Amino acid sequence: MTEEIVFEQQFPVKGGDFSHAGQVSCKIKNLLLELGMGTEIVLRAAIVSYEAEMNVIMFAWQGNLELSVTPHRIRIVVNDSGPGIEDIDLAMKEGYSTATPEMRELGFGAGMGLPNIKKNADEFRIISEAGRGTRLEMTILTDGQRL
Amino acid sequence: MTEEAYHSLRINLGKCLGCVHCLTSCPTKAIRIKNGKARIINELCIDCGECIRFCPQDAIDSRTTSFLDVNAFQYKVAIPATVLYGQFHNATLPTEILFALRRVGFDYVYELSTINELNNAAIEKYLNDHLEPRPFISSTCPVVVRFIQRLFPSLCRFIVPIEPAREIAAKILRANLPRVLKISPTGIGIIHITPCPAKMVSINRPVSMEKSYLDGAISIRDIYKLIFQALQQNKEETIMSHLFPETIFSGIGMGTALSGGETRGLKNHRTVAVSGVQDTIRVLNQVELGLLKDIDLLECTVCPDGCVGGPLTVENRFLAKSRILRIINMIGERAVIDSSDINLLYHKDFLSFHHPVTPAQVPPLDTDPGQAIQKANRRNDLFKRLPGKNCGACGAPDCLSLADDVVRGTATLTDCPFMKEEKE
Repeated sequence: MTEEIVFEQQFPVKGGDFSHAGQVSCKIKNLLLELGMGTEIVLRAAIVSYEAEMNVIMFAWQGNLELSVTPHRIRIVVNDSGPGIEDIDLAMKEGYSTATPEMRELGFGAGMGLPNIKKNADEFRIISEAGRGTRLEMTILTDGQRL
Repeated sequence: MTEEAYHSLRINLGKCLGCVHCLTSCPTKAIRIKNGKARIINELCIDCGECIRFCPQDAIDSRTTSFLDVNAFQYKVAIPATVLYGQFHNATLPTEILFALRRVGFDYVYELSTINELNNAAIEKYLNDHLEPRPFISSTCPVVVRFIQRLFPSLCRFIVPIEPAREIAAKILRANLPRVLKISPTGIGIIHITPCPAKMVSINRPVSMEKSYLDGAISIRDIYKLIFQALQQNKEETIMSHLFPETIFSGIGMGTALSGGETRGLKNHRTVAVSGVQDTIRVLNQVELGLLKDIDLLECTVCPDGCVGGPLTVENRFLAKSRILRIINMIGERAVIDSSDINLLYHKDFLSFHHPVTPAQVPPLDTDPGQAIQKANRRNDLFKRLPGKNCGACGAPDCLSLADDVVRGTATLTDCPFMKEEKE
């Protein structure tokens, strides 16, 4: 198999940095538009990266978002060092959140983050170890087909 | 019309010194300095006029309709933006200003605040009839609409498909004047008096209809002196004009000149009003991510404080705003348009877009996906080599833009003075 053309870029995300919330996903969105991706694909990638970025900001100490794009798919992998998720099945439930009242006051923590990622990504995998951190792997297929 | 011909902003090469003020002020990074002069990239320019504010040489002109073109019409009608009422001395009443406009040479002056109210009521009706999507975004600011088409293409369907008041006013005049005056429609010239260059572009190349109902636009800046002089002459006649006021003003509609003016009339809806270019971009980003779903109507105006902050106005926006608020206080905020009239026009689709606004995506790095990815990689590599000072000396607004230009083949890396040193 010939090696595929791939674009890769890393975006560091700082836990607790609410004032820069949404910046990474905004950069990713503009980048995908420049790569000539369709409106719907770009929007889904923006939502997925925003939710993942917000998870790091809200719950983790430090994280890294890795974007890789080929002509056929967009892959977003987010690794964070943070408290991790104890019960992934519960975390995937709509409306479930461990956000603090302060975060909810800011309008976050509706418990829709992970479900929203699942809805907008074609492939979604979540690995977490309590006390260590979380890894999210998301893929969006750009050929227009959804799994 | 070619890409260049429909734009309103022009660099006056005689005055341009090639400094970098306009480069960094442009929100879409549409300006480059080539051979010592600023140049506008037409595909990227959205005619917001930010560069006009920042140019210390006054070297950026906004090409609006000339008086010569206006005079060619047999019957000349002016539709001034309500911003105009805040441009003159405190004691100057709207009636006097409209009267002065007639002395300047317009056969008829059509007052816009009542149509603003009509537009407002139509938006309210539309919000009631359409529960999705949320938030709707008002179409009044042509720059916001163009922003959305280019940078937020998924939000095109969020734009309320109700024409802005200036177009509705012109449409009403088109429907009635030829019949009443018995003049051929082509003999009637309908001209908007505008606080910004973007209105001219929305006339040259409308995004929601085939052809604008307006024939042109004259900037407040260009017509100011004439109105000012007309206000000085024949004071007595002017006084008579307010003793017999023939014009009805709408307090609700008057507010459209200010940020929050459109949302003020919508008492039963949750609204947000944003002004200024950077804040508009920030909020549209949030809308795109679905974060403002609990809001019914979002009003964005790219000029600070709304249209009173337009780059082609004369009076500073704080004074202008205070005067307009005073006028609103004077006339009160009661409705002057009959709700049954609104219903009738609304249901006849008289107020609606002819066709929806569609995305107008910025040119991608390459039309071939593989090539585009390779170019993006190359751009990142180049960017890492650049000094990151964003000084503009190369002619691009920042280092990333230079890397982008190199990849697109419109610049070379040695345009950067620091790279030259590295080479030597």
